Amino acid sequence: MAAADSSSAALRRRDLCSRGIRLAGKMRSDVVDLLDTYVEQQGLDASASVAVVEGVPVAAVERWDEQTGTQRLLENLAAYRAFRALLAQMLEEQREQLGEADAALGRALAAVLLQVSAFTYH
Amino acid sequence: MFSGWNWVAHCLYLLLNICSLEVSGGLVQSCGHIIPESPVLALGSNFTALCILNESCLDFGNIYANQIIWKIKNKVVPKEQYREINRTVSSVTFNDTSSLATPLTCNILADGQIEQNIYGITVTVGLPPEKPKNLSCIVRQVSKLTYPMTCTWNPGRHTFLDTHFRLKYRWPQENFPDCIPKDVNNSCTIADVQFFVNLEVWVEAANALGKAESDPLVIDPIEIVKPLSPHNLSVNSGILPTVLKLSWENRISIAVMKLKFNIRYRIVGDTNWMQVPPEDTASPRTSFSVQGLRPYTEYVFSIRCMKEDGVGYWSDWSEEKTGVTTEDKPSKGPAIWRIIDASRSPASWTVHLMWKALEPFEASGVILQYEVTVRAKSSLSSPPEKYNVSTTNLTLKLPNGTYEVTVIAHNRVGASPPSVLLIPASNTKAPVKNVRTLPKDGKLWVGWTAPNSYVLKYVIEWCLVSNSSDCTIEWQNEPGNIQGTYLKGDIKPFKCYLITVYPLYADGQGSGQSVKAYLQQDRPSKGPTVQTKKVGKAEAVLTWNHLTVDEQNGFIRSYTIFYKTIDGNETAVTVDPSKTEYTLSSLTSDTLYTVRMMAYTDEGGRSGPDFTFTTQKFGKGEIEAIVVPVCLAFLLIVLLGVLFCFNKRDLIKKHIWPIVPDPSKSNIAQWSPQVPAKHNFSSKDQMYPEGSFTDVSVVEIEADDKKSFSEQDLKPFDLLKKEKSTSEGHSSGIGGSSCMSSPRQSVSDSDEGETTQNTSSTVQYSTVVLNGYRDQTPVQVFSRSESTQPLLDSEERSEDHAGGSDSTTQRQQYFKQNGGQDETNTDRPCFERTKQITPANEGDLVGFAQLQISGQSSQLLGLGLEKNTQEAALLDVLQQTSTEGQTVRPETVEGNPLSVDEMPKSYLPQTVRQGGYMPQ
Repeated sequence: MAAADSSSAALRRRDLCSRGIRLAGKMRSDVVDLLDTYVEQQGLDASASVAVVEGVPVAAVERWDEQTGTQRLLENLAAYRAFRALLAQMLEEQREQLGEADAALGRALAAVLLQVSAFTYH
Repeated sequence: MFSGWNWVAHCLYLLLNICSLEVSGGLVQSCGHIIPESPVLALGSNFTALCILNESCLDFGNIYANQIIWKIKNKVVPKEQYREINRTVSSVTFNDTSSLATPLTCNILADGQIEQNIYGITVTVGLPPEKPKNLSCIVRQVSKLTYPMTCTWNPGRHTFLDTHFRLKYRWPQENFPDCIPKDVNNSCTIADVQFFVNLEVWVEAANALGKAESDPLVIDPIEIVKPLSPHNLSVNSGILPTVLKLSWENRISIAVMKLKFNIRYRIVGDTNWMQVPPEDTASPRTSFSVQGLRPYTEYVFSIRCMKEDGVGYWSDWSEEKTGVTTEDKPSKGPAIWRIIDASRSPASWTVHLMWKALEPFEASGVILQYEVTVRAKSSLSSPPEKYNVSTTNLTLKLPNGTYEVTVIAHNRVGASPPSVLLIPASNTKAPVKNVRTLPKDGKLWVGWTAPNSYVLKYVIEWCLVSNSSDCTIEWQNEPGNIQGTYLKGDIKPFKCYLITVYPLYADGQGSGQSVKAYLQQDRPSKGPTVQTKKVGKAEAVLTWNHLTVDEQNGFIRSYTIFYKTIDGNETAVTVDPSKTEYTLSSLTSDTLYTVRMMAYTDEGGRSGPDFTFTTQKFGKGEIEAIVVPVCLAFLLIVLLGVLFCFNKRDLIKKHIWPIVPDPSKSNIAQWSPQVPAKHNFSSKDQMYPEGSFTDVSVVEIEADDKKSFSEQDLKPFDLLKKEKSTSEGHSSGIGGSSCMSSPRQSVSDSDEGETTQNTSSTVQYSTVVLNGYRDQTPVQVFSRSESTQPLLDSEERSEDHAGGSDSTTQRQQYFKQNGGQDETNTDRPCFERTKQITPANEGDLVGFAQLQISGQSSQLLGLGLEKNTQEAALLDVLQQTSTEGQTVRPETVEGNPLSVDEMPKSYLPQTVRQGGYMPQ
């Protein structure tokens, strides 16, 4: 019985991990699509790097091989949590600026925010 | 009286009270109220309401709770349901709210007579919401990034109340705003959902009577996605003629889900879709090459997708796109057949070769031409003849023999395999047996029993049999291993088809076996027209013609003849369809019958027009059986009468006519020698009464004899002739007969004729004068007597000799002429012939007098009874000469009229007055 429970729990975890990974992939895909639109919308320099922004924690991509998997996940989680807060703040600040024409952008940003929330939940 | 005043006072008080309240506060203050106010009740539950009276009403109106009456919609609630709690409160209880209606009113009966409404409430009865069931959700992709989720559920029973549904969903750590349905109560759409996170979804239903929630549904929305179908589908021809390459774009990111696909395709014009095996398209892709297609064929393609693992929903089919495969060489040769016309020449055939155009999938392109090769099998040395034609038939005139015909179809890419047809000199192989047909599914099925030998293939010929058109042959090939097929053509119902099956062997051909068939039968379009061929007393022979093929509409199974009298029952007789004649028997004689005829197919019959006939009154032979005995009896009676008359002829003769002296036995010649020896006066004439002459005598006066007559003697005759110039008369050679009638006819003419017969033997010569009645042309003339009395001949000869040879010659000439003319020109009137000789003998005939006495009764009437003026003159003359006992009729001799006084006194046959034989 205990073995069955542990097996079921393991499956659930595996499923969670799998879906977390796929969610991350979707988030990346969406953000990539969104980035161009956002940069254009905000009038930013397309060549500017958004990978490193001051005050924003970075994902553990730089020291990938130096960390264990758990450490990487935890760092990434921390980064996403910070990202979620910052994104929500940004959306709140720019809600008034985004007019009707930018509703799609706003919805996309909100979707990203939701996904970040979901990822955090994962 | 007191109570009446009391009642009025109460009313006034109430009115004043109400008015005072209106004035004071502007509101109507009721004398009581009901608790609960506007309740919402569950259907089927019990309910109790209280009516509470105000104290003020008690003081002024003496109104108490025991006077309260409860009503539902003006219907008084039974008092058993009331309960007086105290003097101001009354309750009413309903065990089942289904009997409740709105409004529920509390009323009071003032002084037991006036019913006054105190208060009323609205009662709402309904049901609490049921737990929503069958909650299900689907995520329908509407764009690349938008995935709204629609959930539907079963709201449950009708609550009769305003019930609100809410779709609730949440993540374990985050709640979302409820989805509230619009205009419906069983579905709601969440604008956007996020994938890869479990979402808990449930439905809440609530109304005044309660709240209910469905079971929660926990799903990852990615598992219920119905993606958008692939778009921008394109079809391109491949290198091979059997391959087309499809390309498309997917509208869902591979980061969201991996897709698998279904590809379907069909030939343009066909309705059946074919599908690429799903396992070939079970992986993410954006193109696929469809193989195994037909060359030179236009196809329609469509594609759909779903999540690769099969969890979720298939997208809709994409828009359709068409593509055409490239051309290839024909896959098979055309089916070939022939019609042989051997009627024109016994030594050669006219062979009509015909082949079917290849189906598009067989042609694999555009057929440019057919190559036909005819090889005579009997003379292998002769080279085969080749024909290139663009049509599908070829007519050749070939000597009788065995031939092998090959047809090859060519298109731009290449040639088809050859189709070979062997045309044997004669169909000596075994034919098929038991050819039969069966209409099935709107088509005509033909079956047969195969012969024992191996059959290469069968050819089925058929044609529409019609009176109005020729039998145009259609045909089809069937493989040799089957024993039945459907006719592949436009087979029309109600039409007769002649179907023939030929077995084709590797080395010959069997003779065709035929059968007639209908795809569908109907009643005949008309009935047979029946008529009678022969009608008897009790039977009638009916005939009719078979209906034409176009009129039959099916196989004529039988004829039925219906016949009846005017007032009788109709009798029906069934007749075999092969017959065209039938005899109705046991009919009633002399009766009008109406007969009609119906022709029946399997689908029914139709009647032809009515025909009427009347049976005969007498049967065959009946009339003969009556007439013949009657005639025989009549003849017997006549015969007996004749025999009787014959036996009693003497007695009859004695009584009917007296004995007439025979002039031949007279001795007038002896006692009158001065008179020319030859005279033809018949003394008999004098014996008969006037008008009953039946015979005539001729007095011929020869040229020589003329001299013996003085001119005076002849004058009367000339005068007579002159006076009778208009009366045409002439003489015949021998008395008693006419030149136009046979002696027998003369005899049998009449009683007078009989008389003539009786007296003819006594007449030597006669001249018959035919007088036309009045100015009419005589009908008969006489030029010569046909009498053959020898006595007269001898007398004539002796007289001729006595008269001299000249006269004899002339007379002979005269008779010869007459005889000759009689022989050669019998139609010519004898009178004219007589006149022809007159000029020659004119001189000799001066003074010739001829007494013309008609032997015919009609002529007698003309002479004696008519008494015209000429006859009167003649009679005058006769009377003048009667003193000498002679009646003469002179022949006219112009220029030499003789006076009566100058007439020679001679004894001539006299016209006898009636009743006497004048003494001479």
